[in-house]
Amino acid sequence: MNETEAEGAADVERPPFLKRVFTRESIARWGVGIAAVVAVFGILYFLGTRQLYNLDFAIYLIHPVEDGLAVTMKLVAVVIPLGFALGFLLGWGRTTRSMLFRGLGAIYVDFFRSMPPIVLIFFSYLLSALAVRQLTGSPFIARDVSLWMAAIALAFHSGSYQAEIVRAGILSVPTGQLEAADSIGMGRLRSMFSVVLPQAFRVSLPALGNEFSSVIKDTSLLSLVGWLDLAQTGIVQARGVVGTMSVFVVWIEVAIMYFALTYVVTRIVRVVENNYKVPGLEAAEL
Amino acid sequence: MTTVSIRNLHKYFGDLHVLRGVNLDVEKADVQVIIGPSGSGKSTLLRCTNLLIQPDDGQILLEGVQVNRPGIRPEWVREQIGMVFQQFNLFTHLTAVQNVMLGLVRVKKLDKKAARDKAKFDLDRVGLGDKLHAYPAQLSGGQQQRVAIARALAMDPKVMLFDEPTSALDPEFIHEVLDVMTRLAEEGMTMMVVTHEMGFAKGVADSVVFVDQGLIIEQGTPEEVFDRPGHERTKAFVGKILR
Repeated sequence: MNETEAEGAADVERPPFLKRVFTRESIARWGVGIAAVVAVFGILYFLGTRQLYNLDFAIYLIHPVEDGLAVTMKLVAVVIPLGFALGFLLGWGRTTRSMLFRGLGAIYVDFFRSMPPIVLIFFSYLLSALAVRQLTGSPFIARDVSLWMAAIALAFHSGSYQAEIVRAGILSVPTGQLEAADSIGMGRLRSMFSVVLPQAFRVSLPALGNEFSSVIKDTSLLSLVGWLDLAQTGIVQARGVVGTMSVFVVWIEVAIMYFALTYVVTRIVRVVENNYKVPGLEAAEL
Repeated sequence: MTTVSIRNLHKYFGDLHVLRGVNLDVEKADVQVIIGPSGSGKSTLLRCTNLLIQPDDGQILLEGVQVNRPGIRPEWVREQIGMVFQQFNLFTHLTAVQNVMLGLVRVKKLDKKAARDKAKFDLDRVGLGDKLHAYPAQLSGGQQQRVAIARALAMDPKVMLFDEPTSALDPEFIHEVLDVMTRLAEEGMTMMVVTHEMGFAKGVADSVVFVDQGLIIEQGTPEEVFDRPGHERTKAFVGKILR
């Protein structure tokens, strides 16, 4: 605690959400990210006009890459929320006194964290294909279902990491906080949502952002069971081109898309992080 | 009227017999000071009183009603008993006014506006009407403890428990917390206070008990316990803290 700061602490209400969240730093980082993407595209275009590679091909390529990006975004939109929901519930479960929840959480984390995502993806894909085909007799339904089951397997994998992140966050909140909540007559669930979890999230968010950005790129593994995502688009397009330069162009465009997607998601996590910031609490501010 | 009655209270932590049959009555508007060496069970006694810890045997009566029995929710009991901790335990992610409001909104189910008004009123009572929007990390120890008192006070408790409220404070901040407590006592708040602040005990307490090894060894007015202790152990302890 800093006494001089305490004396000087102005009694002002917390600034509104937008002001809190869009700090000078965050606006600058949006700027840098967008500038980086524009610069790479610019250099690529410049090299194309100098005939270093076939510019028309690069422009044609934008369409399939966009389609691939749409598929990857669809996968991310399923894998991140599902992974987070699993990680949140099972990570929380491991901090409760219930032997059932603790056991479930421990088995879940121990299993899914110990499996390479690629093995989980293939197992889930093949098993669900087999099962759905037995049940419905239709190879087409089996294909659709098993593609999604592969994505869900990836979410389970990511969730096992997030469970540990959430657990660490909850463990970081001192017991005194819960005692204080108890002492004013709050029930266990109330205390959890009003007192423990907001503080746990504040601690967990940087690590969660890390895991989100990691799993975005892991969705590329889903191309191996047939998802036509960004990575698969890269593979397909690169196979069809002539000349080393064009192969580079394909992967540069794919890379830009992965970068942009990851950047946007981590920026969003940072927005939430800024929202949970507590004045005077962070050592980094001193 | 007796606000809190503790009858034959026992508590074990594993093999450790922490409370060994404590009996204590606290009358309405009285200030009961509890002293005793470290590890004697003072804190456990307070925590059993508001059921933060479940007693293993004996009775806790709040205004004549036994509260440590099945069918009575401990949350309902704690809502009526305020507690102030040695380490303040303010909710670090909430401002001073939000700290005080939380129980009013979540437990007493007041609407936000009424809760805010009540919170402001109670923060004013502890002299922090100008720190409503400060976060705990921006406040001095003394200010934090006063917010903690306001948080307990806002629930309109029948009795307030203070667990060594000044022990974690820098000397310069002790008096501001004791002043608030003294004022509360004068306003007629029923209080149970574990403290080694002899000035406060002598000036404000109606009764002092000396706890050692899980038992109340001696009970009386401050003068009786501090100036003419009857037991050897009380004598030794009082001698040590008054020196």
